[in-house]
Amino acid sequence: MTPAPPRHDGERSPNGLALGDLESLPGPRPAALLPEIPPSAEGIPSAASTTIGPTTGAISHVLPAESLNELMSESSELNGGRAGAEESMGAALRRREAAQWVRRRLLERQLHDGASLRISALALRLGLLRYQSPLDEEDWQHRIAELQDELHAVLQELRAVSAQIYPPLLDQAGLGPALRELVDQSGAEVEIVAGTDRFGPVAEGAAYFAVAECLAAQSAGDRPVLRVTIERAEQDLLLTAVGVGAEQVGLMLDQAHPLGGTVNLFEGDTPDGGTITVRIPCE
Amino acid sequence: MRVALAEDGALFREGLLMLLKAAGHEIVGAVDGGDELVALLATEQADVAILDIRMPPEPDGGLTTAERLRASYPSMGLLFLSHYAETHYLMRILEIGTDSIGYRLKEKVGSVDVLTDTLDRIHNGEIVIEPVLAKRLVERPRGDKKDVVASLSEREMDVLRLMAEGRSNNGIAAQLFVTPKAVEKHIANIFGKLGLHTDTSEHHRRVLAVLTYLRSQRSEE
Repeated sequence: MTPAPPRHDGERSPNGLALGDLESLPGPRPAALLPEIPPSAEGIPSAASTTIGPTTGAISHVLPAESLNELMSESSELNGGRAGAEESMGAALRRREAAQWVRRRLLERQLHDGASLRISALALRLGLLRYQSPLDEEDWQHRIAELQDELHAVLQELRAVSAQIYPPLLDQAGLGPALRELVDQSGAEVEIVAGTDRFGPVAEGAAYFAVAECLAAQSAGDRPVLRVTIERAEQDLLLTAVGVGAEQVGLMLDQAHPLGGTVNLFEGDTPDGGTITVRIPCE
Repeated sequence: MRVALAEDGALFREGLLMLLKAAGHEIVGAVDGGDELVALLATEQADVAILDIRMPPEPDGGLTTAERLRASYPSMGLLFLSHYAETHYLMRILEIGTDSIGYRLKEKVGSVDVLTDTLDRIHNGEIVIEPVLAKRLVERPRGDKKDVVASLSEREMDVLRLMAEGRSNNGIAAQLFVTPKAVEKHIANIFGKLGLHTDTSEHHRRVLAVLTYLRSQRSEE
């Protein structure tokens, strides 16, 4: 396979940092990651420009070297040479793959321990009803109401699983409503800015789960996301998350990378953290 | 009560029909889509139309059909049934109308009592909001509203939750086994704490004020 040509997205960070290039290095095994120090732009300290990419497109991942180190914490040798960088990228890809299987196992576990168990118990309780005459009308009503409450609980658990597979509101109403509902239910203080534009189920799914992962990380103690903006940039979906830390770049990468998307971090953009932009091609 | 039903899931539609009949309602027709419901109601009269939100015409035919029905038959009640209780849909429903309208989870209208109570309230002009959703709105208000809502007493929280369900003073009194006068007093206290000055004697405006308050600072759609 032929590597895709380097990609220049031409954007500039708020602090004037020029964004870097990316080239595709496909293959069954993650190809070499080539850390390099691009020419400093307008006197800004050097930034690390990393290049990886699937055959479907390129992903730019440009951020100051120290942030990249933090992101690729699996390797402390990122700037120490090609071998170290190669391990880092391999580790990142393995982490993403591993996360996908962990998610599947969790969903299976959730179905097993939740809805399935409740339905099994319901079957037993219905069997019991067949042999136990109700004491009176009130007792009968009470027992039926209990069964209906249990069915509601089953459905709520199935809804929770559905939402983790593909949120129904995302499909029905798009990113704005789905992300607002997500934020409402998580109790996070995040402003969602999104119009009514639709970007297709793939790009919308990736953007949604990128934000969902960030919010989950936030509740786990990372810096809070302050604002998420969704807009169209040419043929792409452009997601901008303000108030995030470099540690959340990896979460965004996990979603954008397989779709040939690009992720950029502008560190220290706001007093509360940086800004991450994610660009995902729409089908 | 004369009821028309539009639901594209045959199993649920048949089940609901049986329940409606058991509750003693007259079914003027049961169809599987919004356009079919509009056609049905051109020849049949109904007191309340029951609509699945997610049905043809896709994606949310229940809502677009309801807009047409509300324009043609303003006094006909509308009950939306859904598999999901979401703020997004509640706000869209309240844009269609704020009286004789309801939004409930499908599995929550599974008894004659609940179904009849829901239909009666809608027929009487009330807003009926799924208690699961009302509870979520009350328990998870956004931003600085959290502190204010947290300052309410336990009893005031009960009243606020029932108000968010769209219940009238008498309805709240019956649920809490207190007098309507006691409910009025609680409501006055709640509105005082929330800093709301809406006319508390007007049911629809009061419900809307409470819902808007709980939902404010959420980014508007």
